[in-house]
Amino acid sequence: MDIKKVLNEVTKEIEQCSSQQELQNVKVAYLGKKGKITELLKSLKDLSLEEKKSSGSKLNLLRIEVDNLIKNKFNDLKIEEINSKLKNEYLDISFPPPNSIASKAHPISKTFDEVITIFGSMGYSVAEGPDIETDFFNFSALNIPENHPAREMQDTFYIDDKDKEGKSYVLRTHTSPVQIRTLLNQKPPVKIIAPGRTYRCDSDSTHSPMFHQVEGLFVNENANMGDLKGTLIEFCKQFFNVQNLKVRFRPSYFPFTEPSAEMDIAYEIVDNKIQLGQGDRWLEILGCGMVNPIVLENCNVDTNIYQGFAFGVGLDRITMLKYGLTDIRSFFSGNLNWIASNGFTIGDF
Amino acid sequence: MKFSYSWLCDHLETDKNANEIGEALTNLGLELESLTDYSEYSKFVVATIKDFRKHPNADRLNICKVDDGTNTYQVICGANNVKKGLKGIFAKDGMYIPGTQINLKKGKIRGEISEGMLLSERELNLSDDHEGIIELLDDFQNGTSAVEALKLNDPIFEIGITPNRGDCLGVRGVARDLSAKGVGKLKPLNFKKINQLEFSSPIIWNINNDDNSCEYVVSRYFKNVNNSKSPEWLQKKLISLGLRPINALVDITNYITIDLGRPLHVFDADKIGKKLDMRLANANERILALDNKEYTLDKNTTVIADGDNALAIAGIIGGDYSGCTDDTKNVFLEVALFNPNSVAQTGRTLGINSDARYRFERGLDKNMVIEGLEYASYLINKICGGLVSKNIEAGKLDNFEHKINYNFDYFNKTIGLELDPQKQIKILKDLKFQINKSNEKECEVLVPSWRNDVKNKIDIVEEIIRIYGYENIKQSVPSASIEEIDKIDNSSTNKKYKSIKKLKKTLISNGISEVITFSFHSIRAQEILKGDKSLKISNAISDDQSYMRNSMIFNHLESAELNFKKGFKNIQLFEIGPIYNSPQSQENILSLLISTEENTNSIYKSEEFNFYSLTELTSILISSLNFDIKQFNISRSTSNTYHPGQSAELFMGKKLIARYGKVHPLIMEEFSKLKNFYAIELFFENLPIDSISRTNSINIPDSQFQFSEKDFSFLFEKEQNLYEVQRYVKGLDKNLIKNVEFFDLYIAKDLGDDSKSVTFRVTIQSKEKTLEEKDLEQLHKNILEKVSNKFKAKIRS
Repeated sequence: MDIKKVLNEVTKEIEQCSSQQELQNVKVAYLGKKGKITELLKSLKDLSLEEKKSSGSKLNLLRIEVDNLIKNKFNDLKIEEINSKLKNEYLDISFPPPNSIASKAHPISKTFDEVITIFGSMGYSVAEGPDIETDFFNFSALNIPENHPAREMQDTFYIDDKDKEGKSYVLRTHTSPVQIRTLLNQKPPVKIIAPGRTYRCDSDSTHSPMFHQVEGLFVNENANMGDLKGTLIEFCKQFFNVQNLKVRFRPSYFPFTEPSAEMDIAYEIVDNKIQLGQGDRWLEILGCGMVNPIVLENCNVDTNIYQGFAFGVGLDRITMLKYGLTDIRSFFSGNLNWIASNGFTIGDF
Repeated sequence: MKFSYSWLCDHLETDKNANEIGEALTNLGLELESLTDYSEYSKFVVATIKDFRKHPNADRLNICKVDDGTNTYQVICGANNVKKGLKGIFAKDGMYIPGTQINLKKGKIRGEISEGMLLSERELNLSDDHEGIIELLDDFQNGTSAVEALKLNDPIFEIGITPNRGDCLGVRGVARDLSAKGVGKLKPLNFKKINQLEFSSPIIWNINNDDNSCEYVVSRYFKNVNNSKSPEWLQKKLISLGLRPINALVDITNYITIDLGRPLHVFDADKIGKKLDMRLANANERILALDNKEYTLDKNTTVIADGDNALAIAGIIGGDYSGCTDDTKNVFLEVALFNPNSVAQTGRTLGINSDARYRFERGLDKNMVIEGLEYASYLINKICGGLVSKNIEAGKLDNFEHKINYNFDYFNKTIGLELDPQKQIKILKDLKFQINKSNEKECEVLVPSWRNDVKNKIDIVEEIIRIYGYENIKQSVPSASIEEIDKIDNSSTNKKYKSIKKLKKTLISNGISEVITFSFHSIRAQEILKGDKSLKISNAISDDQSYMRNSMIFNHLESAELNFKKGFKNIQLFEIGPIYNSPQSQENILSLLISTEENTNSIYKSEEFNFYSLTELTSILISSLNFDIKQFNISRSTSNTYHPGQSAELFMGKKLIARYGKVHPLIMEEFSKLKNFYAIELFFENLPIDSISRTNSINIPDSQFQFSEKDFSFLFEKEQNLYEVQRYVKGLDKNLIKNVEFFDLYIAKDLGDDSKSVTFRVTIQSKEKTLEEKDLEQLHKNILEKVSNKFKAKIRS
């Protein structure tokens, strides 16, 4: 019995295998039940104890070696086979994808979010009221009596339906009715903002029949006009992301605030673009004032104890200013192209 | 409100220039809207055409020799009024021409050099006139500035007057406010009262006792006047504001309206009766007004009438017939007080916006009635001559008297600024408020007659800070308190906005873009959706916006159509916003729309979007709000917006949570370009806010033991609700049954018309041990038996 010869022979045969099946055949021919090496091992039983020992261990070594050789060859063959299979699976990686349009959030959503966050950090919680209002909430409780010229400051949409007082419902012309709803519902201190849709019958490139405002209201025992000024400047600094912000407060008139003010921020034109913060031109940003005691009394708030301020900001307007958008009508056209170029991706929103 | 610098200076002695005054006006709350100042036009000068000849290469052009006093220039000019000796306005090379917005450049025109330009009025932005070049009539020296030659040295202010400041609807009122701000000194009114009132007016007044709006009226009769063109100073004043001079009498009333803010009216006394009434109009009474329109009046309108003839609409506009013309010989001047509310109401009803109405409805200075009468009499007498009657009046002229108790500390508390009582008093006195009985704490303030808007002590505070200057208010930022932060954390509206944001993020990450559309519905939408009693807007701007929407789907289909026209095929959009069911019921919902355009790309194939894809999307959205779609009761939707067989509604109890499905083909017929669309409406406000806004997830421990899966097939009745089956199976052993997933549905003729074959896989796993075969078999058997019993289902395997 020549172990070396067997080893040479089997090694050669393993090397010549080109498929897993052939290799399997070799394995059976040597290590199978009737395989050559198996037969050799079986024949050990006829030998003397001494011979058994020496030949046995050698044969065992042979068996292990052959087994390893086969295993290795199996692995090699497998890799070869997979590699040749992969060669047939090559795709055209340069085939361009179809055009897709990025899905984005509307710029107004982003503004809503920022407004809620900025005022939230100053302690304002969010309140809301309906778009369809009664004459009481939209006008009379806010010290805008019927036939008062102030009503003509705002072109009002009316609904055919009438309220309990027999007056036509209106589409709220401002978010200020939320002041009344909130004050009638909760006792001071009140510190709220109320963003939402508002309506006036007006339509051109700077006016839309529907637009957005945010109302702010802070009523406690000592909220004063200096607090109002500071709060709004802080808001504008954060919202427009301009630390060095030149602003102007000038007297104005709203029936529901007294004294009333409008706030302008300075701007200049640099390279045909509006740059906010400095310069000698002014942009009107918002209206505000100390809540008129008449309004507080309309809401059963004791004006000997409480006072406060309120403000209203046009959200479309500040959005347009911040992002350099020019036509408010495009906000509400549902044009996906416009959203894709002016909206915000999920990461920025 | 418009006025010129020189007009203002009739009332204000000031050394401030127009820009300084403009700034002061804004700081007073009389916002400067525009200041037209032509001082930069001084670079353009008077020049004379010395000579001209035809351009050799152009029929309509002339080559002019132009002398500007310093040099002679060759100018090519196309105007048809070119002539030798014409004096015009000349612009040189490099000058900016405001009307054309270009810088003038020396160059050749058809081969001939042109060194400048003779300007038209339009090129100077003075008018639309472009008929020819400006032709100066007066003999100015060449080189005189255009500002002087064209009398442009009077800047025009235009200011916005807020509704409370009726007192500033006259130049004098504006001057008064400026003087309080320290911009100048108010001059006394410069006119002489007429002392010789020789006769009694042949025309008398009667105020009817019928709730008409007249409180008081006073008149004078002017005999033998000579009405013709008004003097130059008066014409110029009116022209400077863009008003057209008519005749002296009319110009005088217009002038006083602007100068004092006091409207008054002149009748041609020979065209009216001898007894004038202030009365309410008869129903359907008609009047032809000065604006040449006929108005039909109602019983709430106050008119000035002689007997049955309405002569004027009180406080709003005069009648055409009784107006003064060049031929007028005798005049009846009327100065009245009308109730502001009535004037406003009538003006609005009739849609007349006159200077008179504008002033009356803001409330006039009661003490200006007699002053206005005297001033007008003085001017009429001076300009038109004649004799003046004694006063004839009716009604009662009350003295304006309004007192306010004011404590100085109120200012400090409101504004957040300590301002010394003496300084406060000084400001009030500058504004012509009288201070009675003052001590260091408080005083009594007497409001001047022209400030009917100042009613309460808060109005006094405003007056003081307005003059003291808003720029002097010290700013501070009240920071958030712990209580406020707590309130924010617990506010349901804050939570709602948080949930909405979550929802939006989910939608965007699923490739759907956000739109915002109007809260309106078009008439077309209304007809097509056959919506139940929608809310109609009484004064809609257009048919497209005449109802309040009770769904967003139509708006979104319109958006889709627009986008389709722009070339978008794959439309996926959503909106979170309000819909309106009744005046008191508005809800915010999510509405989304997805198109299912055929995909023609043979490489990038995506599976066809169908009802089940939509269900999956609905499920994802609901999951993002911390709910599981299978928790809800599902039923077919009965909404006529959707395909009846491919739409569903989810309910929690009686509350509708979602409605989704294929848009009804009948609706899609209206959008011929569009094909199949699917929509989801998510009524998220019907879900408990605390659940949907939760951000921490519920911790379900993962079992370590082996799980087993087993498929079951049943033959159910065709309309069997599978959500119920699923919930039932899960409920059979809440501890062991971890998941029930439906994965096959088979409907075919061989099953019969009333049946469907459904297969689901049950995942079984214990939290305590690896289950033995016999336990599993028992459970399988249990599921088979119970499901077939409960739902009368046939076991298929």
